[in-house]
Amino acid sequence: MRKLIAFFERFRVFLFFAFLQILALSMYITYLSFPRLQFLTSANAISGQLYSWEHDLTKHFNLSDENSKLQDENIALQAKLPKSLFRLNNGIIKINDSIYRQQYEYIPGEVVNSTVTKRNNYFTINIGEKHGVKRLMGVYSPNGVVGVIHSTSEHYSIVKSVLTKDINIDVTIEPIGLFGLLKWDGRHPTRGNIAGISNDLKIPRGSKVLTRGGSGIFPKGLMVGTVDAVYAIEGEALWDVVITYSEEYRTLQRIYVIKNLMLEEQQQIEKGIPEDKEER
Amino acid sequence: MNNALKISLRFFLFWIMQVLVFNQLEFGFGIHLMIYPLFVMLLPFDIGIFPLLLLGFGLGISIDAFSDTFGLHASSLLMMAYFRPIIFKFFAQREGYDPLKEPSLFDMGTRWYTLVYGSLLFIHHFWFFLIEIFRINELFWILQNTVLSIVFSFSVSLLILTLISRKSRSK
Repeated sequence: MRKLIAFFERFRVFLFFAFLQILALSMYITYLSFPRLQFLTSANAISGQLYSWEHDLTKHFNLSDENSKLQDENIALQAKLPKSLFRLNNGIIKINDSIYRQQYEYIPGEVVNSTVTKRNNYFTINIGEKHGVKRLMGVYSPNGVVGVIHSTSEHYSIVKSVLTKDINIDVTIEPIGLFGLLKWDGRHPTRGNIAGISNDLKIPRGSKVLTRGGSGIFPKGLMVGTVDAVYAIEGEALWDVVITYSEEYRTLQRIYVIKNLMLEEQQQIEKGIPEDKEER
Repeated sequence: MNNALKISLRFFLFWIMQVLVFNQLEFGFGIHLMIYPLFVMLLPFDIGIFPLLLLGFGLGISIDAFSDTFGLHASSLLMMAYFRPIIFKFFAQREGYDPLKEPSLFDMGTRWYTLVYGSLLFIHHFWFFLIEIFRINELFWILQNTVLSIVFSFSVSLLILTLISRKSRSK
């Protein structure tokens, strides 16, 4: 017993250090996988407010770029309005189309804090539970996919962006229609990778990469980027596909949160899949 | 100035600078500018090891709370705080340290400051990138990040040092 006390006496500094170190590292590892203790993330009230003030100061620097982006989107939408379409068949009037039903709703918001140089980059946005944002909703900007909601508070949310190690959004490569998972290797904020593409098909450079919409988080066909280069992986029958993101995440400001109105229905029916193999 | 007041002022200053200014800068090439290790470096010579560890952990966790890193900064700053007395002992002059002086460039000389702060920054940055990237086959990338970031952090720390610290006593 005396020896034990002497041991603690002797190593008390190291034990104190080890205790704090284990505390910090275990917090880091748990937060990475699941946002259990939310008060430490930047979605909490104080830091959210602080970053809102900062954003109010700095948002005007990119104003002209942002405006032209919004204008481009407006033009694209204008082109789809009935008034800008030429009527080919006179006399036929369509009333209240019942073939289509609203599946996705969009909640607009702004990015108030973001990083792009870390290994895992999270964006803080200024909409939260009060506006209807929930965990695991998709986030996109007019130019491309941004990420998935990681955690929420009353007025703010944190987005796990596509610039994180294991973002795993399911994407397709058009025009071939191959499916793969989006990854990021942590190097450059304009380039991503697609995993799981078998190398028996040729992939032309410049092919479009779109969302597949399989998990119900994103609608089908949202822009992700274009194929930049294709490398062979040694010893595996897979391509390493490098893509260039269509969105410039370093200047990203306006985003939309995607709410899938039929998500529950999809999850309900997918419950019926027998669990005899491992699912992602 | 009162020592406790000075330390708390510096704590706040380094925290707000790191969170609002240096976390927002992006250089590419894996450079991550971190100036808050200077806070731990500048604590008095005669500070106890327990307050030292606690202050390091505290500043780290406050920066973590505002940059979505969940404990990464706390872990690396704690590592640096633990190694501070060891490195200080290793580079000590023959007559030991004068507790009235400050462990800064102006009191201790360029050579001592560069060696001590350089080694402490290396410990801090290397641990930071090791934990963040956490893959042994990317060791080269970890080392590149570490070395490039040290160059930047060291130079910017020098600028900040000239702003907040001056010769404590002219002898």
